[in-house]
Amino acid sequence: MNVLVKVLSFSVALILIFTGVAYVLPQMEGAAPEETVVDVGELTIESFVAMGEELYQGKGNCALCHNDLGRAPDLLAFDVTRASRERMADPRYQGAASDVEGYLRESMLQPSMYVVEGFGTKGSGDAESPMPAVDKPPIQLSELAIGAIIAYLQDKDGNPVTVALPDAAAGNDDGAAPALPALVQSAEAAMAKYGCAACHAILQSAATLGPGLNDIGSRQSIEQIRDSIVNPAAVIDEDYLVMMPEFPNMTLGELKMIVGFLAKQSGDQS
Amino acid sequence: MRSDSRYPSQRAGRFLLLALMVLVIDLSLAQATAAEQLTAGAENVEVAAASLLPAPNPQRADYPNIGVSSRNLVWIIAQMHLFFGALVLAVPIFVLVIEIIGFRTSDDRYDDMAHEFMKISLTAYAITALFGGTLALSLFLLYPHLMTYLMRAFGSQVLVYAALFFLESMLLYIYYYGWNALRYGNRKWLHLTLGLLLNAVGTTLLVVANSWTTFMMAPSGVDPATGAVIGNIWEVMKGPLWNPLNLHRFIANVAFGGAVVGAYAAFKFLSAKNPEEKAHYDWMGYSSNFISILAFLPLPFAGYWLMAEIYAYSQQMGILAMGGILAWLFVIQAVLICTILLAGNYYLWTGMGRSEGAERYRWAIKYIATVLILGFLVWVTPHNIIYTAAEITRLGGGNHPVLGPLGIMPAKNIAVFLMLICTFLSFQLYRRADKVITVSWQNWGNALMASIYAVAIANIIFAGVYYGYFTNTVYKVGSSVIQVMSTVFVIVSGVVLDTLMFKGAKTLHVTWGKVSSRSQYALFALPIAFTWLMALMGYVRTSIRTHWHVYTVMPDNSPDNFIPTLQTVGNMVTLATLLFLSFLLFIFWIANLSGTRQLPIAADNNPALAGGKA
Amino acid sequence: MGSRTDVGKSRRVMTWAIAISITLAAFYLLDQTVMSMQGLPLNWDLSPAQ
Repeated sequence: MNVLVKVLSFSVALILIFTGVAYVLPQMEGAAPEETVVDVGELTIESFVAMGEELYQGKGNCALCHNDLGRAPDLLAFDVTRASRERMADPRYQGAASDVEGYLRESMLQPSMYVVEGFGTKGSGDAESPMPAVDKPPIQLSELAIGAIIAYLQDKDGNPVTVALPDAAAGNDDGAAPALPALVQSAEAAMAKYGCAACHAILQSAATLGPGLNDIGSRQSIEQIRDSIVNPAAVIDEDYLVMMPEFPNMTLGELKMIVGFLAKQSGDQS
Repeated sequence: MRSDSRYPSQRAGRFLLLALMVLVIDLSLAQATAAEQLTAGAENVEVAAASLLPAPNPQRADYPNIGVSSRNLVWIIAQMHLFFGALVLAVPIFVLVIEIIGFRTSDDRYDDMAHEFMKISLTAYAITALFGGTLALSLFLLYPHLMTYLMRAFGSQVLVYAALFFLESMLLYIYYYGWNALRYGNRKWLHLTLGLLLNAVGTTLLVVANSWTTFMMAPSGVDPATGAVIGNIWEVMKGPLWNPLNLHRFIANVAFGGAVVGAYAAFKFLSAKNPEEKAHYDWMGYSSNFISILAFLPLPFAGYWLMAEIYAYSQQMGILAMGGILAWLFVIQAVLICTILLAGNYYLWTGMGRSEGAERYRWAIKYIATVLILGFLVWVTPHNIIYTAAEITRLGGGNHPVLGPLGIMPAKNIAVFLMLICTFLSFQLYRRADKVITVSWQNWGNALMASIYAVAIANIIFAGVYYGYFTNTVYKVGSSVIQVMSTVFVIVSGVVLDTLMFKGAKTLHVTWGKVSSRSQYALFALPIAFTWLMALMGYVRTSIRTHWHVYTVMPDNSPDNFIPTLQTVGNMVTLATLLFLSFLLFIFWIANLSGTRQLPIAADNNPALAGGKA
Repeated sequence: MGSRTDVGKSRRVMTWAIAISITLAAFYLLDQTVMSMQGLPLNWDLSPAQ
């Protein structure tokens, strides 16, 4: 029993020491990002820039990497406008931006378009950026938020802010998750979503840009129909140039619904 | 008893055949689940309606509320399940190894010790299952939307998990209860094979459950935009973090299990009533510590791999853990690991007193201790703390000029790898303490060993300082692999050289039991620190998901979707540790009780409770 | 154990010198290999080549 008491006291004492360490260290609480509603009509340039600064330090998580520790360029340490112009003039620059605002927006939405030397993912030779796209999860900044951050970055060095203040119709949140695209429930709705009838004769359309689809089920197999949508260049009729766009956002379910519907179109009805 | 030495090839053949069966069973079980999903793949127009569904997006009001914080409740239950799961999976691993050693050396002590360890594992097994069931119930009750989604993603794999438990239970019971019945000759081979199968099933259980965890952190096999499950079960399971977590948990389980049974041995040592018992439990404690430290040494590398994969998957997630709001947890981690290293080393140093040959090496202990302490101080130094404006002015910046550089990874890497090398040195000195080396080339061997230590240490410091502070980030990060390999080089060459140099060595007498009681407290400190550390790191792993149930796919809108303060974390971890300690005492008591036999009450009504092996 | 004569001593020194040289070479090779495997080549003096 004596042994048990001694062992228990030692154990509890040691545990309390560890707990104590947790108590003496700085305490921080991390709240989940909240959806605050921004009254766009009341925004001024100053408050827009201030919103951008708040986002830079907070919800945008920019300061997590863009600081003096070397993981990403420390944006607060140099003139961002001047640097943007220099980078657009760099022969390595392959992007589509023509002004500072465009460059900054491109850096946030497509970070791998241009990676500053030395900051690329390990082994990629600066071709790939470790930065996530800010309009996607987990950061998920809205257009309003992105604009505010760009405004902040332009303003902080004393350069003119070229970002237009959003108007009331542009949206009224500062970074809530964009609504998840609604999944359609029927083949007709899916085809309306992707605009098939704009080029093909199907449903009530008489378009002739692409092959008519009212009898596609008797002309092609299920695999061919599927491939036409997923990999048009491999299957498309020689008479038509490859004008059919790709649908990277089409879900498998939507694809199956459309293919299933088309497979049943054997031309009997018309 | 018939000797089986006439049929060695037959025995070996049987063992191999059964081992192959293990592999086949495992693979088939896994493939069976995968195969049925593969046939229902993208080519098939018929698809279950479930795959169209996006991930649920419950709002705050949708979460069930039972009056206490759901997160805290699930936290404790999950942590208890993980503690016990780790224990019952780990113990059979080293029990099998010890049994094999006993089998090959024909030394009964090893076999008896292995048997005794299994007794602990068996009692813990039921508690593990109870916590597992409670965890499942609480998850379905409190997070129904998440569980709907996870069931949708994993499908029948969860039934495979359940089925494996039947297999695990059968094997466990036969392995333990059939120990004495399958003791010698061919039957021993059968017993060993059962042990191997038990471990194979246990490991499969581990990796299956790990897939749920890593799916939540880094989902795969789902549509990134909507969360719809579009991949087959392999794609869902084999995310980027799955294998790093598998390796890390497998090794950590062994280290943890060794530490826990070491505490059992230490307790029995302190309560021993005669020198034979003392000697027996001293030896048991040493063996447990050996296992624990042996498994502990590669653990930082596995943890490093896990962290590297987290960074590769999402730099944001990685930096949040070690450079953002969760960074302070790694300062606490430093305290824990240094406790573990100091306890392990201290136990080895005090243990050296068992042999008279240890005097030769005592001089080294103070240097090793110095490195450990200095390493701890560097590791625990934060990069910066929250200063007041006045303090910043006095400092001249956001970071302390001298301590600031110690707060970043290069310094910490140097510290931890030097500490690991020093721990291995203690190990090596202990193993040499009871031997006098007689091989003719010992001068070369010792010179080579010493050079390897010296150059490895210099290399680690060079790589850390030069690449860490004077080159760019990519080289800084890459240089840590140099440090890892240098440490591994020391450990591997140490083991190889010693094995070669010990051939024909003169063994000095080792007095088991001749060790101070103080040293046994080191064997308690080890599992306590391990337990607390496991809970702490488990919290980090969960917390880096921030406000997501399934990262980037299913947001967490529950009332608990914030990151709690360090004090809260400390309290919860302590609560889990104390609970675990209580259950552990219960388990030890039961293990002890099962070996006790009351004598019949004598005619003079003088009942006596006698201890003894059943 | 080595003898305490001058010959023994110089032999021990030789042993150590050779041991250290081999080890230095081995670790130099380790550094070069490990870094180049990660796509981070080094110059002869172990400075970054990129």
